[in-house]
Amino acid sequence: MKYEQPAIGVYICHCGMNIAPKVDVENVAAFAAALEHVVVARDYKFMCSSPGQSLIIKDIRERGLNRIIVASCSPRMHEKTFRKACEQAGINPHYLQMANIREQISWVTKDSNDATAKAKDQVAAAVARVVYHAPLTSLEIPVKKSMVVVGGGIAGIQAALTAAEAGYNVHLVEREPSIGGHMAKFDKTFPTLDCAACIMTPKMVEAAQHPDITLHTYSEVASVEGFVGNFKVGIRQKPRYIDASKCTGCGVCTTKCPSKVISEFDQGLTFRKAIYSPFPQAIPNTPVIDRENCLYFTKGRCRACEKFCEAHAIAFDQKEEILTVEAGSIIIATGFQTFDPTPLTQYGYGRYPEVYTSLEFERINNATGPTAGKLLMKNGKPPEKVAIIHCVGSRDSRYHAYCSRVCCMVSMKFAHLVREKTNAEVWEFYIDIRSPGKLYEEFYSRVQEEGVHMVRGRVAEVTDIPENAKNEGRLTVVAENTLTRRILRVPVDMVLLGVGLEPAKGADDIGRMLGVQRDKDGWFNELHAKLAPVKTAMSGIFLAGCCQGPKDIPDTVAQASAAAGEAVSLLAKGTVRTLAEISYIDPDLCSGCKTCIEVCPYTAIGFDEGRRVAVVNEALCKGCGSCAAACPSSAAAIRHFSGRQIMEEMEALLL
Amino acid sequence: MHPFAFLKTDGHLSSSVAGFLKKLLTDKIADAVLAAAPTPYSLLPMPTLFTDPEQIEKANPLAPAAPFNTARQAASILKHETGKRIALVLRPCEIRALVELTKLKQCVLENTIIIGVKCLGRMENAVYLEASSQNANLTQAFYDDPVLQDRICSSCAICTRFQPVHADISLSVIGMSANESIGLSAETDVGLAVLKQLGFETCDAPEGRKDAVNRLLEKRESAKTAAFEKTRDKTDSIEKFQRYFADCLNCHNCRVACPVCYCRECVFLTDVFAHDPEVLLRRASKKGMVKLPTDTTMFHMTRMAHMAHACVACGHCSSVCPSHIPVADVFIRVAEEIQNLYAYEPGRDLSEAIPLLVFDEGV
Amino acid sequence: MKEFEPKIIAMVCNWCTYTAADLAGTSRLMYPANIRIVRLMCTGMIDQKYILKAFLDGADGVFIGGCHPGDCHYINGNLKAVKRISGVRKLLEQFGFDPARLKLQWIGASEGPEFQRHMTEFVSTVKSMGPNPARDCMIL
Repeated sequence: MKYEQPAIGVYICHCGMNIAPKVDVENVAAFAAALEHVVVARDYKFMCSSPGQSLIIKDIRERGLNRIIVASCSPRMHEKTFRKACEQAGINPHYLQMANIREQISWVTKDSNDATAKAKDQVAAAVARVVYHAPLTSLEIPVKKSMVVVGGGIAGIQAALTAAEAGYNVHLVEREPSIGGHMAKFDKTFPTLDCAACIMTPKMVEAAQHPDITLHTYSEVASVEGFVGNFKVGIRQKPRYIDASKCTGCGVCTTKCPSKVISEFDQGLTFRKAIYSPFPQAIPNTPVIDRENCLYFTKGRCRACEKFCEAHAIAFDQKEEILTVEAGSIIIATGFQTFDPTPLTQYGYGRYPEVYTSLEFERINNATGPTAGKLLMKNGKPPEKVAIIHCVGSRDSRYHAYCSRVCCMVSMKFAHLVREKTNAEVWEFYIDIRSPGKLYEEFYSRVQEEGVHMVRGRVAEVTDIPENAKNEGRLTVVAENTLTRRILRVPVDMVLLGVGLEPAKGADDIGRMLGVQRDKDGWFNELHAKLAPVKTAMSGIFLAGCCQGPKDIPDTVAQASAAAGEAVSLLAKGTVRTLAEISYIDPDLCSGCKTCIEVCPYTAIGFDEGRRVAVVNEALCKGCGSCAAACPSSAAAIRHFSGRQIMEEMEALLL
Repeated sequence: MHPFAFLKTDGHLSSSVAGFLKKLLTDKIADAVLAAAPTPYSLLPMPTLFTDPEQIEKANPLAPAAPFNTARQAASILKHETGKRIALVLRPCEIRALVELTKLKQCVLENTIIIGVKCLGRMENAVYLEASSQNANLTQAFYDDPVLQDRICSSCAICTRFQPVHADISLSVIGMSANESIGLSAETDVGLAVLKQLGFETCDAPEGRKDAVNRLLEKRESAKTAAFEKTRDKTDSIEKFQRYFADCLNCHNCRVACPVCYCRECVFLTDVFAHDPEVLLRRASKKGMVKLPTDTTMFHMTRMAHMAHACVACGHCSSVCPSHIPVADVFIRVAEEIQNLYAYEPGRDLSEAIPLLVFDEGV
Repeated sequence: MKEFEPKIIAMVCNWCTYTAADLAGTSRLMYPANIRIVRLMCTGMIDQKYILKAFLDGADGVFIGGCHPGDCHYINGNLKAVKRISGVRKLLEQFGFDPARLKLQWIGASEGPEFQRHMTEFVSTVKSMGPNPARDCMIL
């Protein structure tokens, strides 16, 4: 369909000496003047200059032009410029078509005649196409001035604080009873050996006390609807069985509770109660009742906590609640979990009591951990010899082919801590040492200077069969030192596994709800690896921290700040403009086969069950055209790239 | 081996099959039955939806004629769940098309009993009417007489997928004496339950049926190879392709008859191909002339590009062509190439993804 | 006799191959003038009709350029094009078109030299095949 009887103006740019004289611009203009519907064709020195643009504007106004062709540089360069000029002159900006005769003709063609002939073809094609252009508009949609951050680890906290400082309301959703994430479990942090709690707890407190941050702990995202600027997020608040408004956090309930349960926070190395706070600095400090282990819930008796709670805060009848909040943007900060080394039976994890994962060892080192920070074996004695194995579950095609990035530095931090706290010998078994980061390589040198044995070789086996009677009761680490090509059998008392990082459990559900794709390893995909590292393919949804891939604390904090920055930039603008060049599905042609729905990468197409036709959500569509190409009746078509426009263009090129 | 039962015909093939279908209604196994039946005005069997057990006595689904591929009609009944249980008597190519239409969300197959015919082929309408005028009991005669069997249409003559896939019950005349009994084989649990409800005793299938099937398969395979060779010779250049389709009237009957061309409106009837006079004049100027209507070759090739992966080789596109262009001969041959390329077989399995909806770097 | 100069339609995606073509330009990398570029947003929007149309209208070759797998601006539009294009190629082959006249190539945004190389190579391939037979007969 033609929207108006076309009256076309064609403008051939010389671009100084860049297009002319290689392309005979006057000749091309004369050729264009003879084309169907062309009212005026001119050549000019610099079309992008202010007089060049004025030329177009004047012609539109005085000669009633309603379609404009500019043959000049790449549309990637100046399409915006000329669209603005059209708009200024009062015609729809999409009535412009450009012919790229500089980057794709004058600069790449030797022969002047060839260049001129090619330029004529591309101009004729642009003319043929522009006849069928449609006037397009986009919608301006207001943006909600609040956001949701999913995950309350250091990434989520940092993102929430950054955005809240800018004055936006943040809903911070954390599934555990306390915010803090993995960082709250760590003892020291590499390479500066700051105490993790000393730098983390102030951040947690700040987040909790910030007037613009609402904490939703012990909560999960239950549903997400809407689109950029206008999400509706359902938050499932699991019952704590404690009225947080009454609880003073005195902790009497915990001391009175008779049930003993293995502590998740301490990686199973200690016990907690059925009513508990995961760790002393937990935020909020309102405990939760673990229904599965509470005597009242399982056996119907006890209620000791209720009896001793002076604030009358125990609420056994509390129910799960769903709270719906509005959000202009969403930040995913769901973090990671550590690799479970049990399948690597050769390392004996789970079989030998003195084989620990890195997270377990963090707790052993921690002052609030099972040994109050003393480095002791299960028999209460300090170890004399400790082995640290790198790349457990990482760089291993059977488990995770990728490098987990942090484990080398974590392992060397452990080596340092062992040397600092005991007289034990430390043997590190690595494949390659990866220490790229500020002061990281220096830390590596420092650990070597502290007398740690560095062995390049993947450990073959950890066994309790000793080399000789002297080492009875100890573990033996068998590995080849690939630098000296010798097989080593090292008797040790303790083995630490530098386990890799993998996406947190539940990330798949979050991904599905938000429509954000994950890579083959399950990490969330950023929009562009280099240029859009915290954006996702879903507008208004950003990534912070390890959910996008393994990273250390500095990188996580930097990325979280970036994600918050992107989110704030969106919220600050106040409105989002939908794209104009998007899909449209003609309900009179649609057969309801839903093929378009299957191919749409943005879940931007819904189905109207009543009329049995597919319907495009204009706020979600990005105009990729997957639907258009898959639709045999062309019921689905991309505005500005319709079948007719493209085929007219091609036909003119092949005259 | 699927449970098998004999349906006695005793020289009355059509009425025995109709009787079997009648029982589906009287025993309340199905609320309605879709089966081919002649109308009061012509012997040509039309797809007919029966709800009355008395009326269904007229059904004659084994008649060697089919003016339609019934899949489209079946899909119109099965467009959405109605709460009614519907039995459908269909040829293998019709079931294949129905499966493809289901993948394309044009219908739902819940709550159906699909009775597939092991098919010896259909005659063109005119051939059937002529043969019927000479033989009052053509259906019975057809299954006994190889000469009559050779009068089936060209697409059926090269069909190697004459055994139904995706049927609950298959009706078998191959390797049986149709005037004594035909076979009912339960292909699914649904089919077995129906046979049991109808009071059939199941047994193992009689010997010799397999040989008959294999003989037919061999015959069809060699006919297909020869036909493909001939069609290739007639279409292996763009110039020959023009000659082949030269008499095409752009009537689009082929696409209307095609059971898998499911578009509500063909793109060639939309604005995309409604050319302005300037465009037609420009086209004419290219070679000094242009045939009108334009886009004839474009239409046929695009239809192949869109639907060849799903072509069920029923041959109805040829049957309906007013210019007698053997559209199906070339369509079926190209379809086999495309289906081999994608390792896709239309109608084989509901869960087999449409090849263009699987995205990887393959092919 | 004048050497045969093919006309080649290059349908390229805006984000990668079109950008590479621009880069070839800014780097002044010369290639034969036989290429006529049609800019699309993504190879995933290429309808079979476009390819058929190009060949029936006499294009001697059709070049389709998109982002490398994994780099698609629209996640996986490029992969959606793969099977569609191989199907059309198979179809055209049945009617006497050399399948090599239709080429699909991933060229990333930074690969200006690759763009130049592929254009040069494809032009010479198509030249060696001679004109598209559809040029010389009346297409109905």
